[in-house]
Amino acid sequence: MTFILRNMWRRKGRTFLTVFGIVVGIFALTVLGGMTARMNQQINGMKGFIADKITVAPETAGSQIRQMSQGKLLELSKIDEIEKVPGVKSASGMITVQLKPSEGMSQPQMLVGYQPVAGTSMFNNAKISKGRELQPGDAGKVLLGSTLATDLKAKVGQPVTLKGKQFEVVGIMDTTLGITDTWAFVPFQDALDIFLAENPYVKAEGLTQQITVFPKPGVNIETLSGHIQKVVPGIKTTSPKQAEKMISDISTIFSAIILGIAFIALFVGGLSVINTMIMSVSERRREIGLKKAIGARTWTVLGEYLAEAAVIGLMAGAVGMLLGLLAIAGLNRATHASNVAIFTVTVTVVVGPVIFATILASLAGLFPALRAARLNPVDALKEE
Amino acid sequence: MSIVSTCELTKTYRVGEMTINAVNGLDLEIEKGEFVSIMGPSGSGKTTLLHLLGCLDVPTSGTVTIDGMETGRLSSADLADIRREKVGFIFQEYNLLPILNAAENVELPLRYLKVHKSERRERALAALEKVGLTDRAANRPSQLSGGEQQRVAIARALVTEPALVLADEPTGELDTENTVRLMDLVSHLNRDFDQTFAIVTHDPMVAGRTHRIISIRDGRIESDETPGNQQGLPL
Repeated sequence: MTFILRNMWRRKGRTFLTVFGIVVGIFALTVLGGMTARMNQQINGMKGFIADKITVAPETAGSQIRQMSQGKLLELSKIDEIEKVPGVKSASGMITVQLKPSEGMSQPQMLVGYQPVAGTSMFNNAKISKGRELQPGDAGKVLLGSTLATDLKAKVGQPVTLKGKQFEVVGIMDTTLGITDTWAFVPFQDALDIFLAENPYVKAEGLTQQITVFPKPGVNIETLSGHIQKVVPGIKTTSPKQAEKMISDISTIFSAIILGIAFIALFVGGLSVINTMIMSVSERRREIGLKKAIGARTWTVLGEYLAEAAVIGLMAGAVGMLLGLLAIAGLNRATHASNVAIFTVTVTVVVGPVIFATILASLAGLFPALRAARLNPVDALKEE
Repeated sequence: MSIVSTCELTKTYRVGEMTINAVNGLDLEIEKGEFVSIMGPSGSGKTTLLHLLGCLDVPTSGTVTIDGMETGRLSSADLADIRREKVGFIFQEYNLLPILNAAENVELPLRYLKVHKSERRERALAALEKVGLTDRAANRPSQLSGGEQQRVAIARALVTEPALVLADEPTGELDTENTVRLMDLVSHLNRDFDQTFAIVTHDPMVAGRTHRIISIRDGRIESDETPGNQQGLPL
C-alpha cells in the first residue's frame, strides 16, 4: 500500500489531474443520484396514494395530462352511474387546483377537493396522527400534507387561508415523502367554488374533473377498472397498475437522463485513468523488467498495477462523493426556507459512487496492467 | 556438483529477413562456488547466454539445468519461480526502484518469496551488512553514489541466498576505484560465503579477478581458461 501511494506521489501533478477527472464525475453522480433518489421517493409515495383507487377522467383521445389541461370535465351524475357497477364500493368527485407551481425539482402545491365517503379512507398510505380525515358534511375544513402544513405554520383547529378562502385545519398527515405532502385536501364543494372562480368560462354546477372509485373488499381492482370503462360511456378509467406504469415510465426516463449525464462524466474520467496508467506503465518498463527478473510473477505485476488504479478510483470516489454530499447538504439548506427537499441521501447515493469509481478505475487500469504484466523481462530491461 | 549446465543451447532471433544465432549450440557447466567471467565482443551473445542461464529468456533449442532442474519446458510462471528462488541478478544500471530506500529495495525479492515482514527486514539488513552498507539502509537510491547503488543491488541479489548470482556488466558504469572495490567485495563473497558468481564483462581487469574466464564469439565458446590466480586476490 505504501508503495502504491509512493508511486502515485512520484507524479503528483498527473495523479492529481486523473483523480480530479474522476472526482468531477463522481461528484455529478452523487448529486444527480441524490436527485434521483428523491424523485423515486416521491414516486413511491405517489404509488402508495394510487394503489387502492381507480381514477376516472373524461374520455379523450389524448393522455390524462392533456385532457386535464384542456379542462374537460365530467358530469357529477357519472358518480351515480359508476356506483351502480357491481363491485364498486363508492365513488367520489375530485377537483384539483394549483396553489403554487413547482419550483425546480420541488413538488407543486395543490388544493384537492373530494367528496368524503363515510367509512372509506382516501389515504391508505398516510397516517393522520394529528387531527382527523375529512368527513361527509364537512365544509370550510382542510386536511393538510405535512410539508404544506409546515410551510403554512398550520396547527389543528386553527384557520389557514388558501386561495383567499379561510379553512379550519382538521388534520395534518404524517410525512409520506410522496406528492401528497404538499397537498391540501378540502371538501369537494369548496374546491369547486375556487375552481369556478378561477375559470369563469366554465359553466358551473354538476361537474367534476375526476372521479375516484374505491372497490368493494375482495374485488379485483384491475378487472373492475376495465369493467367500469366498458359499461359507463364517455369516461376513461385508469387502474392502479396503469397509473403506476405511467409514473414508472416517466421516472425511468428521468433516471436514464440523469444517470446518463453522470456516466458520460465518468467515462471521461475512466479514459484519463487508462491514459495515466498507460503512461506510468511505459515509464516504468525497466522497473517491471527488474521485478520480473527477480521473480515477480505475471499475476503479481498485474495485481500491483490494478491496485494502483483501484486506489486512484477509491480516492477519487471518496473525494467526489464527499464533495457531492456537501453540495447536497448546501442545496437542501438553501431550499429549506421554501420547505422543499430536492435531494435525498441514501446508502446507495453514498456507497454506490465510491464502489463504482473503484471498479471503473480498476477496469480502466486492466488493459495497461495487462500490458505491464505481459512484458518480456529481457525486452523491458533493455529500455532506456 | 554443477549449479548450472547447458546442453546444445541455442537462441535464434529473427531481425527482419535475417536470422541471428545469438547463442549457437553451446555446452557449459558451472560448479558450485565457482567465480566465472564471460567475455566477448559486443554481439557475441554473452548477455543472451546470461539471460538464458538465469531463466529470463527461453532457449530456441537445447537445455538449461539449474540446481538439478531442467528449465526447457517450464511455463513463464515456473520460470519466475526459479528466478525467485535460485537466481540473483545484478545489472549494469543497478535497477533499483527509486521510490524505495536501500533496505526496501533489498527486501523486494523476499516480498515476492512471501517472506514475513519482520524476517524480511532482518535478512535485508544482514545482506546490506555483507556489502558494508548497514548505515545507508534508509537512503533512497538518489542519495547513494553509483558504487553504493551497485552494492545495494548486490545485496538484493544475495538476500534470497540464490544458488547462482548472474551479473551483466556490473562495473560498466563505475570508475576504476569503484570497480576495484566492487570486485574486492564480490571476491570476498565468493571466497567467504562460497557464493557462485557468473559475470558478463568486457573489462579484462574484472575478468582477471575471476577464477575462470569463458570467451564467447558468435554464440560459441572460443576459450575456457582457468588462470593461476585462484585466490581471487587483487592483481
